[in-house]
Amino acid sequence: MDLTVHAGERVAVVGPSGAGKSTLLGLANGSVLPSTGSVRVLGTDPTALRGRALRELRARVGTVHQHLELVGQLRVVHNVNAGRLSSWPAWRAAWSLARPQGLPEVLDALTRVELADRVFERTDRLSGGQRQRVAVARLLVQRPELVLADEPASALDPLLAGRTLELLAGLAVDRGGALVASLHDPVLALRHCTRVVGLVAGRITLDAPAASLTAGDLADFYGAPR
Amino acid sequence: MTTVLVRPRVHPRLHRVRARWGWGLGALAVVVWSLAGAGAFSGEVTNPAGTAQFGRFAAAALSPALDGAFLRVLADSVLVTVAYAALGAALAIGLGAVGAVALARTTWGRRRAGWTLARGALAVPRGLHEAVWGLLLVNLLGLDPWVGVLAIGIPYGAVTAKVFADLLDEVPRGAYSALLAAGAGRATAALYGLLPPASGGLLSYSFYRLECAVRSAVVLGLIGAGGLGYQLSLSFSSLRWEQVWSCVYALALLCLAADAGGRAVRRRVASPRASGDRLRRDPALTTAVAVVLAGVGWSWWYLAISPATLVSDRTGAQLAYVLSAAWPPDVDGPLLSAVATAAVDTVQMSVIAIAVATLGAVLLAGVAARPARASAGRRLAGAVVRLGLLLLRAVPPPVWALVLLFVLLPGVLPGALALGVYTLGVLGRLAAEATEELDPRPRAALTALGAGPVGGWLYGVLPAATGPVLAFALYRWEVAIRDTVLVGLLGAGGLGALLASRVAAFDWGAVTTVLAALVLLTAAVDLVSARARAALR
Repeated sequence: MDLTVHAGERVAVVGPSGAGKSTLLGLANGSVLPSTGSVRVLGTDPTALRGRALRELRARVGTVHQHLELVGQLRVVHNVNAGRLSSWPAWRAAWSLARPQGLPEVLDALTRVELADRVFERTDRLSGGQRQRVAVARLLVQRPELVLADEPASALDPLLAGRTLELLAGLAVDRGGALVASLHDPVLALRHCTRVVGLVAGRITLDAPAASLTAGDLADFYGAPR
Repeated sequence: MTTVLVRPRVHPRLHRVRARWGWGLGALAVVVWSLAGAGAFSGEVTNPAGTAQFGRFAAAALSPALDGAFLRVLADSVLVTVAYAALGAALAIGLGAVGAVALARTTWGRRRAGWTLARGALAVPRGLHEAVWGLLLVNLLGLDPWVGVLAIGIPYGAVTAKVFADLLDEVPRGAYSALLAAGAGRATAALYGLLPPASGGLLSYSFYRLECAVRSAVVLGLIGAGGLGYQLSLSFSSLRWEQVWSCVYALALLCLAADAGGRAVRRRVASPRASGDRLRRDPALTTAVAVVLAGVGWSWWYLAISPATLVSDRTGAQLAYVLSAAWPPDVDGPLLSAVATAAVDTVQMSVIAIAVATLGAVLLAGVAARPARASAGRRLAGAVVRLGLLLLRAVPPPVWALVLLFVLLPGVLPGALALGVYTLGVLGRLAAEATEELDPRPRAALTALGAGPVGGWLYGVLPAATGPVLAFALYRWEVAIRDTVLVGLLGAGGLGALLASRVAAFDWGAVTTVLAALVLLTAAVDLVSARARAALR
């Protein structure tokens, strides 16, 4: 596969489960290493970096994971603050667990996902949709340039799903970056993205501007025999 | 008409969980009180003069005694230790199987009084350490191999009976009730409906007890039952550090072998092989059971045990004499105040031990855990830490106390630290395993957004690991209070030292009082630990 995403683009990655959508996003945030070929993220090859430089690159890439990967035992405020661990020194990260730091920014981010009233709740007490919004709030605090989202709307009702994708897209555009999101819902993909990339069994079988596609085309793509 | 209610704007507030803060502050206060009581804040505790001796001892680690004569002695000691462990564990499992029937809820049904009474009767054998049983039995039977076997078998039997009963009670009732409803007798129904689902757990636990018995056999050696522990204390008291280290390495190997064997059996039990249409038994499990049975037979022959000792006239007369002298217990003022002082010392020792061990375990667990992906340097560091923890738990606490006495002045502190160092070996491994079992994805997500190793550990690992590690620490505190008595028996103070002096003086009335205090103390610690663990959940 050969794929280049430019600044300002909002890319929807679609395809049946097991097609390699999560692996593609993992390659971009450095949690999956390429066995062959090369990856360049924000103009840099992450496999060539070590230590501090690698952490600085990673801080510029934000991910909403499919299984959320939040720490259930922590309060919401700490899970949101985890987005700042790349810039905080260790002592500040430790102190924040006792006395939450940077509360105004956290509350601001949580207000934008309509969850400000749960800021001190333990994260494992929240519902699936609420947790998804905590994961988005973490990204709002991290302020990355490249936003990666793995099924960011799967546990949300249509209204919230739309608003979440708007937030993520806006976040990427504010920082002059891009959004790459794997999506199941063709309507969301067409409404919020500028480009649609279709994957089947690890190969790109569709790559077109969203404006040239209809919901029907995408439904056909999902229903395509494989 | 529709009325839109304005949602009142609530300012969120940080609420702490009261119960947990209470337990946390209470624990901190107890640790400070214990440290103060052990003299850690006042006066001299270190002994600078002993540093040179300690250096010689540490240097000998690299040059253990490996000459043929000593290795032969060492091999004999290992065999004696293994024989005691095998017979002791076999006795414990036999007693446990019988006892489980007497303890299971299934047996008692709705008759709660009988069940409570049966459980309560266990507190006495369970509350006394193997070494205490050894000390008492040696006065009844003289120097006989039965002392070692019974000293392991009686307390282990009590614990095993409780665990076996719990395993049986935890089996879902469906199949058993269906068999009863179909007209089967209770014994038959239990054989077909309860035993098969529980058998995996029972087998795993039996092998775990065998591993523990190896350690207990070493400890009994220290107080004179022979074997590796005895050899270790001989080499120690004659200042032959090279030989001491050979013994320590032999011990570590033995523990490692018992550990690896037990783990292999438990893994096989957990995931059995497919059998298909032919009756096939797992060859590894069959071999393990056959080897253990053969080992028990061999141990019987090797230790030259004769049942006649147990029923001889001399044993009967001695038992009658001790029992008549031991009742009524001695309750005069000076003894009671000595018991109270010793009980406080014992509690303080156990608290310091568990605090040291928990702190060390939390700091080391991250390095000791096997990560999924790691650099060569990280792997090496992990292997070194794991080996260090193995050595810490291979050496019995009394030996650590002797080592610490090189650099510390005698008192409660060396005993407490010795116990702490040993418990660190156990707790470090448990904490590392708890860390390995955590979901690795939250931490991976933090790494992917650029968190450093410390930040990732604080936010991704610590919150999830705290609960299980504290629960393990509280459980080990129950074990530590029993082990404190062992360290005390060999001179570090507390109830153990008091008991040893009263037994040596044949003051059986006072012995009964001290034993009662011991049983009460361990029961109280069990209760507090269980409450604290409940608050953690």
